[in-house]
Amino acid sequence: MTGDKRLHRIPDKVEYDQRHSDDFRGDVKEVGFHFCGYDYDTAEEQLKIYLHYDQLYYWKLAELSKMGKGFLDGQLWGTKCPKCGDKFFPPRVNCWNLDCNLEKTEWVQLAQKGVVHTFTIAGWSGKSSLKRLPFVLAYVIVDGCKTAVANELRGLKPWDAEFGMPVKVVWAPKKERRAAITDFHFEPADGWKPGPMNPEKERMKELCEPVYEWVKSMQ
Amino acid sequence: MTRRVCIAGGAVTPFDYPMHLEPESMVANCIVETQQDIPDFHLRDLQFMVYSHFSVHFGKQLCPEWIVHDHLGLVGLPHIRIENGGNTGGSALYGAFLAVKSGLFDVVGVAGWETMDNVTQSQGSEFIALASDTRYEALAGGIYPIYYAAMAYKFMKEHGLTEEDFALAALKNRNNAADNEKTQWYRGEYQQYKRDLTVDDILKSRLISYPLKRYDCCLMSRGAAFCLVTSEEWAKKNADGKYVVIDGAGLSSCTIRAGDRLAFPAWTEMYGKGYPDMTEFAACRRSGEVAYDMAGIEYKRAVKEVDVAEIHDAFSSSETQIYKALHWCDKDSIRQFVREKRTFMEGELPVNPGGGLMGYGHPVGATGIMSAVECYYQLTDMIPKKHRSSKTYVRDADVGLVNSHAGTGTSISNFILRRP
Ligand SMILES: [Zn+2]
Repeated sequence: MTGDKRLHRIPDKVEYDQRHSDDFRGDVKEVGFHFCGYDYDTAEEQLKIYLHYDQLYYWKLAELSKMGKGFLDGQLWGTKCPKCGDKFFPPRVNCWNLDCNLEKTEWVQLAQKGVVHTFTIAGWSGKSSLKRLPFVLAYVIVDGCKTAVANELRGLKPWDAEFGMPVKVVWAPKKERRAAITDFHFEPADGWKPGPMNPEKERMKELCEPVYEWVKSMQ
Repeated sequence: MTRRVCIAGGAVTPFDYPMHLEPESMVANCIVETQQDIPDFHLRDLQFMVYSHFSVHFGKQLCPEWIVHDHLGLVGLPHIRIENGGNTGGSALYGAFLAVKSGLFDVVGVAGWETMDNVTQSQGSEFIALASDTRYEALAGGIYPIYYAAMAYKFMKEHGLTEEDFALAALKNRNNAADNEKTQWYRGEYQQYKRDLTVDDILKSRLISYPLKRYDCCLMSRGAAFCLVTSEEWAKKNADGKYVVIDGAGLSSCTIRAGDRLAFPAWTEMYGKGYPDMTEFAACRRSGEVAYDMAGIEYKRAVKEVDVAEIHDAFSSSETQIYKALHWCDKDSIRQFVREKRTFMEGELPVNPGGGLMGYGHPVGATGIMSAVECYYQLTDMIPKKHRSSKTYVRDADVGLVNSHAGTGTSISNFILRRP
């Protein structure tokens, strides 16, 4: 090590004194490859094999750990460049300014509020999120950061969301937190009231109706 | 840098979901079809292979290019695989361009494929979302149509556009595909609409993420494409009358998270404060400018000089946003540009006559190559033979533009193709 402050320290011995083991440790089946069935079409001589493949991953947050630990404690940590002052959430562990030449940023605790930069109402999503549809995914500028973070905006009718609306951070119950971005979501700031219905909102509402019906029909 | 690089052949398999062909057969089919057009091209001519394949998740097979390469009988020949999200095809073409331009090789094959029908569509959406920052975005439920919708909604608001304006791109490309039996649209739901898909059909289709509906989005797909990139000397000798010159090539990058574009110092330095925000594709603007510069095209005249374009229309909104990024219109003229249908077949700059991603489908590793091949067909007058009619043939086109696009605009390439 040269003593250059921009270098991130690599801890060579880490002992995890806080552990959360409720829902995976010990009894998660890592099945690996499992050929579990087939279909055969005689006319076209087409054979299709069903492959199930499952794996438990470890996702080290390493130098971003402070952010993850903050989530567990209901705190929002971002980073700030000591040279140029740019502030980031999601955190960047080195500054993005080429002139700052990879200056290592410092952790700063952020106020748990922000402003919606843009948003959309999702009516379709990945496998893990289908049952939450329709939901609002908003890009929120948290506490004066230079960047916006995407997360779910709840606590309002999807069609009532607005550009520039003030929002607050709302945490999942402590025992449900997993040190991940999903430990919190956004909700309208206290005192915010949606504007009156208008043709655009009616249109969004109309588009949402079949999505609500479809989600209800899912097992 | 006087050595000129050419495209001297290429072909695409049908794109479909599902389609029952393995990657090695798909690539073999493309090479056979290329040989039908360019009889002088033999596998023995190849000196280097660039493979274009996005996600090993779909096949649960690392290095699947090794399977294809040895199946083609090309052992001993150097190969690399390029993976660059939705811009995988464009980036592989860029790699082949560099390889020939450098003088190291004269004949380079670019072969790409994706087998997205190996998983369900919701699982596939999630697989692709693994190319976003999983720590923040995918985990929060985001998939690409959602990210694009959030960007498009702000773009729509700030430019006075409507859902109907976006729908025009979707309508155009899908109806263009009505003549092209290799497209997924032709092979599937086209049967229901033929050439008459309307704006209303698009507005009525199911919500994907506001303002995008189902018909505003391209289709997940299985398919492959092949393109032959050669020196001009080889092309002239072996593919006379059937080659085009790659006159400009640009590749550029932007942030992985769209939310990080509001004030990125490198963009501020280049284009000023507030650009690209979350509404613009700065990497498209930049790579377009690099390609225009190389080809000697003045930005403001691009819309006049380019005769036909194949644009990465994963979403109707992104095609519309790209019109502006490529300097074809600006904030004030974009509404008029869209509403006057200048990119329709009868307009001044037909875009995606082959159907684009909306029509063809989007088997990621094959897509950018498909776009280049379609543009190549236009500039070598092969469209009437390749599509089922001449309705999507842009006669006398001299200059073509090929665009390939990844992430939320995270990596974008642009190429200018010219008749020799
Ligand atoms: Zn800095």
